[in-house]
Amino acid sequence: MTRAVPRLPGDAVARCAAAGLLGAGCVTWAAVPQVHRGTAGLALFLAIFGVAAGTLRLALSAVPAPEDSYLLPAALRVWLRFLEALRLVPWEEGALLAVLWLEVLHPSRPWHTAVLGAALIAYLLATHLAESGASPGVLRPQARVLAAGAALLALGAAAGMLPAAGPGAGSALQRLAAAAARNAAAGRVLPHVARDNGS
Amino acid sequence: MSFMGPNERVLRATGTDLALSWRSSRHARRLLTMGLFGVFIATLARRPEFAGLAAPALLLLAAGRVQRRPPRITVRVRPSSRRGFEGELMALDVAVDIPGEGQDDCALLQNSARWTWHPGREIAPVGAAAAGGPQVRFTFTPERWGRRQLGTLDVVLRDRWRLAEGHATVALPRLDCYPAPAQQRTRVVLRRLPNRLGEHPARVSGEGIEFSGVREYVPGDRQRSINWPASTRRGRLQVNTFAAERSQDVVLLADATSDVGEPGTSALDLALRGAAAAARAYTGARDRVGVITYQWGGASWLAPGLGKRQVYRIIDSMLASDSGWARGASFRRLPRAALPPGALVVVFSPLLDQRFVETLRDMRERGFTMLVIDVLTAEPPARRRSVDRMARRIWRMEQEAIRFSLRELGVPVVHWDGVQSLDLPLAGYTRRPMAAWR
Repeated sequence: MTRAVPRLPGDAVARCAAAGLLGAGCVTWAAVPQVHRGTAGLALFLAIFGVAAGTLRLALSAVPAPEDSYLLPAALRVWLRFLEALRLVPWEEGALLAVLWLEVLHPSRPWHTAVLGAALIAYLLATHLAESGASPGVLRPQARVLAAGAALLALGAAAGMLPAAGPGAGSALQRLAAAAARNAAAGRVLPHVARDNGS
Repeated sequence: MSFMGPNERVLRATGTDLALSWRSSRHARRLLTMGLFGVFIATLARRPEFAGLAAPALLLLAAGRVQRRPPRITVRVRPSSRRGFEGELMALDVAVDIPGEGQDDCALLQNSARWTWHPGREIAPVGAAAAGGPQVRFTFTPERWGRRQLGTLDVVLRDRWRLAEGHATVALPRLDCYPAPAQQRTRVVLRRLPNRLGEHPARVSGEGIEFSGVREYVPGDRQRSINWPASTRRGRLQVNTFAAERSQDVVLLADATSDVGEPGTSALDLALRGAAAAARAYTGARDRVGVITYQWGGASWLAPGLGKRQVYRIIDSMLASDSGWARGASFRRLPRAALPPGALVVVFSPLLDQRFVETLRDMRERGFTMLVIDVLTAEPPARRRSVDRMARRIWRMEQEAIRFSLRELGVPVVHWDGVQSLDLPLAGYTRRPMAAWR
C-alpha cells in the first residue's frame, strides 16, 4: 500500500524559511568581522552546522516514520536513522552556544551584542512557531514581557558601554552584579504584572 | 434515524479521566540555554552586555512560570463502529475536555491540543496520524480480520505561553474486524430436505410456487388450481401441482489447524472469507446455518440458526476461536445441536492435517453429506536440489491422494483460489440438488 508523503503547507514553509534565515543572520552577525584566534573556526563551523541541521529538522518534521520498522530495505533504514538523529539532537541549542561563543571571541562591542541578543530571541521564537505550527498571534500575550526584555537588553548594552569606574576587576564585577540584580528584580516583578494583566 | 453529527456523537461518548504530566517544552529549554549561557559568559568574561542578552529569555521563562496548568483532562474516544470488515473505511473521533477550569483558559488549552495516533497491528491510517485541535477525526482501514487493538493516542496540551507541555496517553478500544466475505450467489441444495418450510423446491408436492405437474381433480382440491386448458383437452377436470418448499440445515466446518500461505491470502484467510460468504448465501435463502471451527482435534461450535444476525454470530464465533488452541468440545463428542442429522456440511480446509482428513472420512461414514472447498494456495518452495524436487513431488502426490480418497468416499472436493467468486468452483453442484448418500 503506498501512501502520499505529507508536504508542508505554504505558511509552514514560510515559517521554516524565516527561522533558517534568522539563524543564518545571527551566525553572520556574530562572525563578522572574522577573528583568527582560539576556537573561532570551530565555533563558526558548529554554528553553521547547528542552524542548518535545525532548519532541516523543521523542514522534515512532517515526514512520518513507520510504526513497524522490521524487514525494511537498507536504504530506508538508513533514512529512518537519519531522521531519528535529526529529531533527537537539540541543534538549536548547539547553534546558540556556538554563536554566543563566537561573539565572546570578539573584543567588547555592547551594541553589537544587544542586536545579536534581539536576533537570537527572534530566531528562537521563529523556530518555536515553525515546529509547533502555531500562528504568530500566539505571541501577542508575551508582547509586554518581550518589550521589557528589550529594555533590559538595551540597558545591558548601555551598561557595557559605560566606562569602568576603576581599572581593576572590582569595577567590572560591580557592573555585572548591577546587571544581575536588574534582571532578578525584573524577573520577580514581571510574573505579577503578567498575571494582573491577564496576559 | 440519527441526525447527530460526529462532533455531537463524540461529546456524548463516555470520557476517560487522565492525569497530565507537565514538562518543559523544547522552546523553554532553548530559552533556558540562552539565558544561562549568557549569564555564564557575562560572569566569566566580565561583560555586562551578555547579562542584558540573557534578560529577555530569562524574563519569558519567569513570567511563563505562573501560567495555569490543569492536572487532569477528560478524553472522549468514539470509533464509528466497534465492528467492521477488512478494507472498510472507518473513523475515530476524539475530543479533549478540561474539567473545572475557566471558560477562556479551557478553550485556549483545548485548542492547543496536539494528537498523535500510534495505530495497532493491521490498522492502516488513511491520511495523517497526527492532528491538532480540541476535536479531531482520524480515518483508518483494518487491513486483516481479527480482534484488533486500535492502538494508543498521545495527547499533548501546551500552556498559554507554550513553555510547558502536558502529556497523556490513552489506550484506544478494540475493534472486531470481520473477514471481507467472498461472493456467492448460488447455493448447494440437498435432494432430501427436512420437513420444514423454506425456499428450496423439494421433490414432493406441496404449497409452493414452482410448477411440478398436472393430475386429475379429486374432491377437496382448490378450484383455483384447476388447469382449464388441460381439462378441456382430456374431458375431465385437471389440477396443477406445485413443489413443496423446504429449508435445509447447513453446517460450515472451518479448519483452523494450519494457516499456510501469504498473510492476507493464507488458507485460514480464505477459509474465513469463504465461510462468511456461505453463511450470507444460505441465511439469505432462509436456511438454518451453523458453524464448527476445528482446531487440533477440538472444536468450537455454534448451533444452526436463521436470520442476518446469525451471520454475525457465525463470524464472531470464528474470530473467538482464533486463539491458537481449541477451547471448545472435542470434535468426536459434538452434540446433535451442533451437527444435526441430515445437514449439509460445507468444509473449508487446506486438507493438510491428517487427523482432520480422518475426521471427514468418519463423518462421511456416519452419513453426512459433505462438500469440501480446498483453500490451499501455497506449496513448498521450489529449489534446485534433486532431493528437494523429489520431496515436492511426493508432497503433491500425497495431496492428490488425500483428495482422491475423499472423492472415492463420495465427498466432492473443489478448489477455490480466493480471488474468483465461490459460484464458479461450486457450479457443478448448484445446478441440481445434491444427492444425500447413506
